[in-house]
Amino acid sequence: MSNCEEILDRMSLYLDDELEARECGNITVHLADCASCRASFDSERRLLENVRGCGPLHVARPELRARMEKLVNDRPMAQFAPPELRDRIRRTADHFSSRSPRLRFARPAIAISAVLAVAILVGLWLLNRSNRSPILHGPSQFAMMAADTHQRHIRGQLPLEVVTDVPQEISNWFAGKVPFMVKLPNYQESSGQEKTYRLEGARLVGYKNDYAAYVAYQMRTRPISLVVTSDKVAQPTDGEQIVAKGITFHYNSINGLKVLTWSDRGLTYALVSDLEERGQQSCVVCHQGVKDKDFIEPLKPR
Amino acid sequence: MSTATFSQAALEHLDSLYGYALILTRDQTAAEDLVQETYLRAVRAFGQLMANSNLKGWLFVRMRNAWLNQLRHTRSGPRFVELDDENVESFYQNDRVNDDPHVVYLRKLEREQIRMAIAGLPELYREIIVLRDLEGFSYQEIATMLSCPAGTVMSRLGRARAKLRRALVSWQLRAAAKAV
Repeated sequence: MSNCEEILDRMSLYLDDELEARECGNITVHLADCASCRASFDSERRLLENVRGCGPLHVARPELRARMEKLVNDRPMAQFAPPELRDRIRRTADHFSSRSPRLRFARPAIAISAVLAVAILVGLWLLNRSNRSPILHGPSQFAMMAADTHQRHIRGQLPLEVVTDVPQEISNWFAGKVPFMVKLPNYQESSGQEKTYRLEGARLVGYKNDYAAYVAYQMRTRPISLVVTSDKVAQPTDGEQIVAKGITFHYNSINGLKVLTWSDRGLTYALVSDLEERGQQSCVVCHQGVKDKDFIEPLKPR
Repeated sequence: MSTATFSQAALEHLDSLYGYALILTRDQTAAEDLVQETYLRAVRAFGQLMANSNLKGWLFVRMRNAWLNQLRHTRSGPRFVELDDENVESFYQNDRVNDDPHVVYLRKLEREQIRMAIAGLPELYREIIVLRDLEGFSYQEIATMLSCPAGTVMSRLGRARAKLRRALVSWQLRAAAKAV
């Protein structure tokens, strides 16, 4: 590795001691020869030293310390199993493992057969999968981020910053926070149709040095996430491609989630759900009108 | 690990845990409650701790889980109240003794600026800077703690440091302009 750009990309990993010895050695050699990279390295190192030298940021109040000392010293600790019980269990386990010598020899054979069977099944599945969808590539970084955000929101790690079921309030909340307009249609209100989904709220999520808009919906207790950013920041480039009404949708399945990404009028969208097929039903959060059925239909798997 | 060793070792991480609790809760009282809940859980689960486990990481994971559990139960989400400068100031530790008053002053000023810059970061970035640069957890440990891929830790950390650098540079420029 000698390209300065690559070296700068790996600089943080190098400083954080997260690289393997060989790559670390290559960077050390490069830094010795390249004044420009060395200057960047020194600047980054100084920053980290300063940050690391300023901690701890907070100290617990003496009252809290005293309370915690009392808590850990007074509370009875979780009990361990007595040594006699441990010995008894170990003896029982040993007894069973040495009981049948024939079984002992048979075990490696069973294990090998099982591995072979699994390998054949996986091979058949992959072959079948590649025959069905010839245009499959890995998901884009934006699709991965959207799926990750969806999962983290479900786990409670990304609480909503604005909680409302009024689309206009969400649009107003995003104004000035993201460098684009977030306009959420409200087909349910305007068409008077049955409410099939519920808008929950929104929050900002960091993506590529800027904020993207995250909007959460529920469809009969199943969560749907919509992530929006500028098409200058993200372009959906990978996955299975489906064209509907002149827009190219990219479909990916990530960790069991259905992720549809597309760009339209300067914005890039990702819609994440665990709904059936390609999750195309999640499109109703913006397209529930009768005319929009033409739009959702082509997204169904053939 | 004996119970006495555990108690002593666990209490050594009190300030770190309290700092992390403040990042999660953004509220002094809630942070103290979360610290207490974490120690309670730790004491109860002490038997699960392996002899060669990383106690600090184990406590941090317990704190994060306790926090997520609270969020799930209350369903009210965190209180998004930013600590104001005065509050942040009051949490800071006293400066160490140094012979040269001028050097002490400059170092203190620099440290204060870094602390203010960290406090001014968005929550997501502040958390990752604290976990990596102040608490010294590895990328993998942080990934486990935050339940995200190590690649996400790497990219988020890169963005957080870039933002921190921009904040510090802008402070230096303002200080230089004042000096002129």
